[in-house]
Amino acid sequence: MTTSGSAIDSVLATADREWRTLGVHRRDRVSLATDLRAELEAAGADGLSPADLLGADPAGFARSLAEESGVERAAPRYGTILGVAGAGAVVALVAGYALVAGLHQVFVAAFDLPRGTRVPIWLAAGVFYGGVVAVVVAGAVLSVRIALRDVPRIRHTAARMTLLLPPAFGAAILAAAAAGRAMDFALTPAAISTEAAIVLAAFFGATALARRWSLTAAG
Amino acid sequence: MWRMIATDEAAERQAQLLRGCLDMCLLALLAGEPAHGYELVRRLDTAGFGPVSYGTVYPLVTRLHRLGLVADMRQPSPTGPPRKVYRLTDTGHQRLTAWRRQWTEFAGVVNATIDVHAPPPGDKR
Repeated sequence: MTTSGSAIDSVLATADREWRTLGVHRRDRVSLATDLRAELEAAGADGLSPADLLGADPAGFARSLAEESGVERAAPRYGTILGVAGAGAVVALVAGYALVAGLHQVFVAAFDLPRGTRVPIWLAAGVFYGGVVAVVVAGAVLSVRIALRDVPRIRHTAARMTLLLPPAFGAAILAAAAAGRAMDFALTPAAISTEAAIVLAAFFGATALARRWSLTAAG
Repeated sequence: MWRMIATDEAAERQAQLLRGCLDMCLLALLAGEPAHGYELVRRLDTAGFGPVSYGTVYPLVTRLHRLGLVADMRQPSPTGPPRKVYRLTDTGHQRLTAWRRQWTEFAGVVNATIDVHAPPPGDKR
C-alpha cells in the first residue's frame, strides 16, 4: 500500500469513528466515505495529500461533513435513558420484593422442609443475588424499550443492555463484596454507600455503554 | 505584538464575513464553469478570498448538492482516477440570481451606513 493510500485509509478510519460517535446510519457512513475516498484519491493523483486538503483535524472535518450533508443521526439522549432505566429498575425491585414476600408467605404456609435440609450458602446467595439482578435488568430493559419506544435505535440499546447488564452486575457484586470484606462488613453509612455506589456505577455505566454501542454500530 | 493581534482580529473578521456568503460565492464560481472540490479552493484563492480550506469547502458543496443547487458528474482525469465535478443546476442558477440581488441590496445598505457614519479623514477621535 502506498503512503498516500495509507494516509487516506487513516483519515477515513478517523472520519468513520467520528460518524459512528455521532450516530450516523451505516448506509450514510458508507456513502460519505465512498465520496470522500474518491475525492482524496483524485487529489492524491495531483500530488495533494489528505493533510494538505483537510489540515490536522480530520475528525472536525468529518463532523462538519456529516452536519452539512444532512445525514440521519440518532441523538444519544444518555440522560433520558439512564433516568428511565433507573426508574424502571426501582419499580421492578419494589414489585419483585412484594411478589417474593407474598410467595414466601404462601410457601411457608404450604410446605414444610424436612429437618436437616441444608441449602449450600453459595446456592442461596446465587439465587438471591441472581433473582435481584434478573428483576432489575428486566425492569430497566422493559422500561427503556416501552417508555422510550419512539427514540431512534432504542431496540438495539435495549438488546445491548440485556447483554451488558448481567455481567456488569456480577462484577459489581463481587467488587462490592470485596469492598465490604475490606471494611470488615461494617454496617456504617460509609461502607454501605461504597457498596451501593459500586453497584450503581456498574448499572449506569453498562446502560450508557449499551446506548453508545447501539449508536456506534448504527446500521 | 499589537500588529499580530490586529492581524488575528482581521482574519477572524474575514472568516465571519465569509461564513455568511461562501455558499453564494461557490455557486457564482461554479456558474461560469464546473469544477471539482479543490479546484474550487483554488478559485476562491484566485478571486481574492485568500486561503479557504478544502475542509470548509467540501462540506459546503455537499450541502449545496443536498439542496439540489449543484449536481455532480464523473470526469476522467489525465493524472489519476475520475474526479467528481460539480456544476450548477437550474435551481442553483435561480437561487444564485436571488441571492445576488439580495446581497447587492444588503451590501448597498451596509456601504451607505458605514459611509454616512465614517469619521472625516484626519479625525482621530
